[in-house]
Amino acid sequence: MISIPAGIAANQKTTQTLTNNLSDAIAQTQQSLNRTIAQTEESINQTLTQIDCSLTPSAPQGFGFSPDIGNFSGQIGQFGGSPPADFNFTPGQFGRGSTPGEFGAGAFGGGGSNPMNQTYYADIADVAGVTAVAPVLQASEGHNVTVDNPFGGRTFARMIADYVIEGIPLTSNLVDNYPILPTNITSGRNLQAGDVGKVLLSENNSALFGAAVGSTVSILGEDFEVVGIHGSSGVSDRLILYMNLSDAQALTNNTGYVTTLHVYVNDATEVTNVASAVSVLHPELDVTTAQERLEQLQNLQSTYQTQLENAQSTYESQVQNAQATMNQTNMQAFQEIGVAVVATSLIVLFVMLYTVRERTKEIGTLKAIGFSNRSVMSQFMLEGVLLSLLAGVVAIVIGSVAAPLLSSVLLPSVSPVANLFGVRAVTATTPTAAASLSPELMVTTFGVAVLLGAVGSLYPAWRAAKTRPAEAMRYE
Amino acid sequence: MNSEAVLKIENVTKTYSLGKRSVPALSNLNLQVKKGEFVAIMGPSGSGKTTLLNVIGCIDKPTSGKVLLDNVDVAELAEGELYKIRRNKIGFVFQSFNLLPYLNARENVELPMENNSKSKAERSIKAKELLATVGLSGREEHRPQRLSQGEQQRVAIARALANDPAIILADEPTGNLDIKNKHEIVKLLANLNLNNGTTIIVVTHDSQVAAHTERMLFLTDGKIIREKEGLHLAKKNICPYCKGKLQPTDENCPNCGKTVRFKKKVPPAKDKHDETLAMSQTKHCDKEV
Repeated sequence: MISIPAGIAANQKTTQTLTNNLSDAIAQTQQSLNRTIAQTEESINQTLTQIDCSLTPSAPQGFGFSPDIGNFSGQIGQFGGSPPADFNFTPGQFGRGSTPGEFGAGAFGGGGSNPMNQTYYADIADVAGVTAVAPVLQASEGHNVTVDNPFGGRTFARMIADYVIEGIPLTSNLVDNYPILPTNITSGRNLQAGDVGKVLLSENNSALFGAAVGSTVSILGEDFEVVGIHGSSGVSDRLILYMNLSDAQALTNNTGYVTTLHVYVNDATEVTNVASAVSVLHPELDVTTAQERLEQLQNLQSTYQTQLENAQSTYESQVQNAQATMNQTNMQAFQEIGVAVVATSLIVLFVMLYTVRERTKEIGTLKAIGFSNRSVMSQFMLEGVLLSLLAGVVAIVIGSVAAPLLSSVLLPSVSPVANLFGVRAVTATTPTAAASLSPELMVTTFGVAVLLGAVGSLYPAWRAAKTRPAEAMRYE
Repeated sequence: MNSEAVLKIENVTKTYSLGKRSVPALSNLNLQVKKGEFVAIMGPSGSGKTTLLNVIGCIDKPTSGKVLLDNVDVAELAEGELYKIRRNKIGFVFQSFNLLPYLNARENVELPMENNSKSKAERSIKAKELLATVGLSGREEHRPQRLSQGEQQRVAIARALANDPAIILADEPTGNLDIKNKHEIVKLLANLNLNNGTTIIVVTHDSQVAAHTERMLFLTDGKIIREKEGLHLAKKNICPYCKGKLQPTDENCPNCGKTVRFKKKVPPAKDKHDETLAMSQTKHCDKEV
């Protein structure tokens, strides 16, 4: 009998853990996503008057957002009672221009933007409304890996970016008035106008090169002084190290060439006009306004939100179903327990009544030799309670063996699964074998046993006390 | 002899109602038992023997009349008080011994002492003493099933003596025993009376047992219709017939010349011998009164 509450307790606990874990996971994902999007949005808002121009006919997205398995390291893992595994959610790379993704560098990487001749495009600066043009050179440096073609056939080489060099024109006008440099400096200082041979590393770079602020780092054979370190943010500059444009051009043999032109417009309302003017002037350029980037971001955000909500509701409905089944089973189990309690009381009652009847003569004798009603009654109550206690001990011994077996048979097993971004994010199986007898349950069992014994023997004990002493005279 | 009356029954009537009819079990019964007396109550079935015993033993209440036990009218007492009287003033000996089978001899004897002020050790010592009195030393730890019926009854007698009661009430104490054991129990009761001065009332319809008491009461239809002196008086050096004084060596009463003691020709080795002897004594008594 006590194995049933043991199983119920275990399964309820498991379901609770599952639900909690899921809520935590979803909440964390949501938080992380919101944070990233907010940061990106902020950075885009800062550059509302910015138009990016690049020669990237094959990459229409202004930012490499790769909703790929790798980015979402949210495999929460099998539950089974353990807390959720750490949940690193970094949904893709929101970046300015053609930012190399951590993965799929070939698609969005530095090689994606073709170098463009700086002088050829100098006329953009003359377009009405343009206040400044910041030519930027991005070059991705990495290593090649051989990847098996997942669809069979030949393997192919793929470049994994280790770091990205971004050359920025460090003129005082651009540095002072336009958001061309990262803003979140964690140590050291930012780049300044006129810095040559200086580099601003990301935290990733710093770890990669083993360099700290003030030290000298060798990049593609040239020595640079590390002036500062910028933190990773929603803007995917985790891999980017910043240096003077001239340094970058010299380093990558791209003198006179850049990959992106950041065009700054005097007023946000002029952005569309300027963008179309630039497109007319240089139809081969891919022109992206901040507004477009924002829209793209918002689209992505809503896509993500929907996915997240779907996953959540799927999971929740699964958990709810399981819980409903479990509640139903628990209900049944409690009904069974109720029946068992009543039956036990009745059994105690009848057994004790029978005992009292059988021992009428003995009770009569006790009364004849001077036992009071009270002592006779308490003696029989005690007997009933002791018998029930003994039964409680037996129940605990049997229960501790039978509980795990029984609960796996009696109670449903819950295995909710939810998909997040195509990843089987949350899987959980109810560990039914965990059904065991807690000390509280044992104490309760004893308590219930005593109670049942007392209740069941109350009437028989009263009957015993009322036995007439003359019964002792009966000759059988 | 101490003439103080330990039990005084005055005009006791007991009526059982069976449906609409009422059946009288005792009608206007009067009886006095002195301290140290050994009394037998005899009579046919349905004569009210057991009712009388129950009334004396405080397990039944009379319809009317007084039952004075040590000058306390127990007919007036409520159950809350009566069990104390039963415990302290009465010692019951039953026909079927009524020992608790799961307790050994000593524990059975200790049972009535359970609620008194004695410590456990004292109770144990007292129980052992009592068992020695009834001739069962060395058998203290034996359970009833390992004792013969006679031994069981002796344990029951020891139990009845546990709280030094005013009266021992024995209901057919020899009814379940064979002849040998019967004589031993009668002898034991007689010796207790003689040596310890215990007041004993025996209900029996065995005339042999009754003959060994001091006084025999014959009960019919709830009334004492006859009283007789028993042979036990001779042991107290009183002639059962004329109440004259006897010398311990006298076989015949010096006053009335009647035979009061039988010279034992051969030690009574056989049950049959005992039986004939007892029977001749009873006959003798009947004839004379």
